Amino acid sequence: MKPLVFLDGVAFSYPGAPEPALDGVSLTVEAGSVVGVSGPAGAGASTLLLVAGGFAPRLTGGTLTGKRVIATERVGIVFATPWTQLTGLASTVLGEVAFGPASLGRPREAVLGAARRAMRNLGVAHLSDRDPAALSGGELQRVVAAAVLAMEPELLVLDDPAAELDPAGADALYALLPEIAAGGAGVLVATPDSERLARVARWVVVLEGGRVAREGAPGAVLDDTDVARVARMTGCPAPLPLDVPAALARLAR
Amino acid sequence: MLHRAHPYTPLAVATGLLLLAFAFRSPGAVWAVVAVALLVAATSGVLGAVMRPAMLLALPTWALLTVLHGLLGGAPHVAVGPAVFSVAGAERALVLGGRLAAILLAFLTALATVSPARLVEAMTARGVSFGRVYLLVSTLTVVPRLRARVRQIVDAQQCRGLRIGGSPPARVRALGPLVVPLLLSALAEVDEQALALAVRGGGASGRRTALDPPADHLADRVVRWGVLALVVAAYAWKFAGASP
Repeated sequence: MKPLVFLDGVAFSYPGAPEPALDGVSLTVEAGSVVGVSGPAGAGASTLLLVAGGFAPRLTGGTLTGKRVIATERVGIVFATPWTQLTGLASTVLGEVAFGPASLGRPREAVLGAARRAMRNLGVAHLSDRDPAALSGGELQRVVAAAVLAMEPELLVLDDPAAELDPAGADALYALLPEIAAGGAGVLVATPDSERLARVARWVVVLEGGRVAREGAPGAVLDDTDVARVARMTGCPAPLPLDVPAALARLAR
Repeated sequence: MLHRAHPYTPLAVATGLLLLAFAFRSPGAVWAVVAVALLVAATSGVLGAVMRPAMLLALPTWALLTVLHGLLGGAPHVAVGPAVFSVAGAERALVLGGRLAAILLAFLTALATVSPARLVEAMTARGVSFGRVYLLVSTLTVVPRLRARVRQIVDAQQCRGLRIGGSPPARVRALGPLVVPLLLSALAEVDEQALALAVRGGGASGRRTALDPPADHLADRVVRWGVLALVVAAYAWKFAGASP
């Protein structure tokens, strides 16, 4: 598959920071794949997303060294804090979601079609006429994700996108990621939620202190879920099941 | 009345009232403009909403103008009870105070009647660049956004034991824990919002698609051209040296 992002030995420092936020990081995100980023708080996952999406240092300032190739300009990003991602220029959810396609000057019907499709995919079509400023955090996060999807990005970057969602909403959002990838987009998602990451990611990079501590298939590198801990305590052989469905499948065998 | 108008109309009326207030020199004429501004606010159903902030902003300035011009102005003077007022100074204070009242009432009425989303659509339909649209609309909406954030910060700090009442020194001390988070959170938000707008085509150079542009009725255009005609006439009168 076509590589959308290729990082080789990339280091990045924020302006004035004494230590680099990333150091010697290599990563490839191919079209049609979901790649996960995990690690403790402050490990550099959010910075890696900004670098991989081409937003750092272009919008953040700072210094980037190493090789970076981003093969698309259609990049969408979703942050954990949905209220900072509203345009503030729309009085309805439909207007908010349609803002991006409208910016591209597409015909009105195409803009509304893309917006309605994205809203249906994120389960927020029923909120169409609501004021975005009056939504709950979970509703707002799905609206923001829909607004980014309406731009039909080739590379979708998500930073802890389910932080504001209830478990059902988080499941629905994560279930959508492989579907987006199946449509030909590359998905790069950072989250501390190892269970959901294990369900959707083809490849996971675990960061520690701005460096890649380990990487590989989720079952090989993620072992910090509650289910995995219990499985380890009970003497379950590797690879450990990372979530309840995987544990039940193992028991069934 | 103005709620249903094209968004350019309330802005044109507000600008017209501002310019008219500065076209006249006599207290009577200036306060007649204030009366029109009050009438516009009342007929738009926002008089109650604009009077309180207008008074809060105007009263301290009126008091200062009264002292500076009324009490400290030159002869002739007139005694009102124990106070002695300069007649010319009092007139000057009335003119300046009236202009301030007209500006506040006109623009608070425009803020209360113009929907930012409709204004965006109207400007987009006219081909105004996104940068200019965003600059204007974010300026118009900055006060309510900051007010909402201040409320959240006050709630959070009070939960952590901050007392915002009491003596004036105590109130001043309480400002730090309120202002610092307000500024820092606003700066942090600007970064993420800039990114969010960038990925959603905010910086695109082409013309945006207007999805639901507000109708610009004949009545709107008549009002706007009427305001322009009044302003031109008032300034022609002023420069001819005949205006009140």
